[in-house]
Amino acid sequence: MDRDELLGLLRAFEQEALEYVLIGATAMGLHGIVRATEDADLFVRATPENLARLRTALRGVYPDDASIDEIRDSDLLGEYPSVRYYPPTGDLYLDIMTRLGEAANYDSVEKEIKLVEGIRVSVATPAALYRLKRDTLRPLDRRDAAVLAERFGLKDTD
Amino acid sequence: MPVERYRSVEEMNAAPIRVVAGDPFERFVRICRRYWLLAPRRYPCGVFRFRTIEEAQAARARVSREAKRPAE
Repeated sequence: MDRDELLGLLRAFEQEALEYVLIGATAMGLHGIVRATEDADLFVRATPENLARLRTALRGVYPDDASIDEIRDSDLLGEYPSVRYYPPTGDLYLDIMTRLGEAANYDSVEKEIKLVEGIRVSVATPAALYRLKRDTLRPLDRRDAAVLAERFGLKDTD
Repeated sequence: MPVERYRSVEEMNAAPIRVVAGDPFERFVRICRRYWLLAPRRYPCGVFRFRTIEEAQAARARVSREAKRPAE
């Protein structure tokens, strides 16, 4: 995960007014629970206008990458709510989601704004991250949930 | 850390939480960088789509395994 590349992405998201929220390890890192990750996970609001903003933002960071056009409304608004984008730099990748299962999506996730190097970054709250992670099967997610619960005093009722 | 002033509690609650350089963000990217140096990878470029989180996680694990490459 390259620092400047990640900042460039977050800046582009802000400039294009993308409606998104960071979840996963990147969001946890911004809450001070730091572990390594290879990707940045985000929910985006599932509208054609917002997905157009997403493509514009990505083109601003990776202007020569024609594969950005393959991030299609018909997928993210249809049968494929999860799209993984590997930029040509090869230093990180993005998991872009419009929904997770039946319940979780951009609108259902509580979010807050953090300022990172002057960039307004939309991040899921610790409680929202905890709810996303506590019921999953992946051991890493369950560990993340346990750490979130301990650090922020969260309970199953949160 | 600069002092911030608010006219109301509502304004204060709506204000972004400031993450200063050297704080969580810097630690986060530093540890990711260290991880990358210890376990360098070469990812496939492009866009891949998934119907479910399980599909996405299986592909992530597969790519992560296959993308490992010797440290340069």
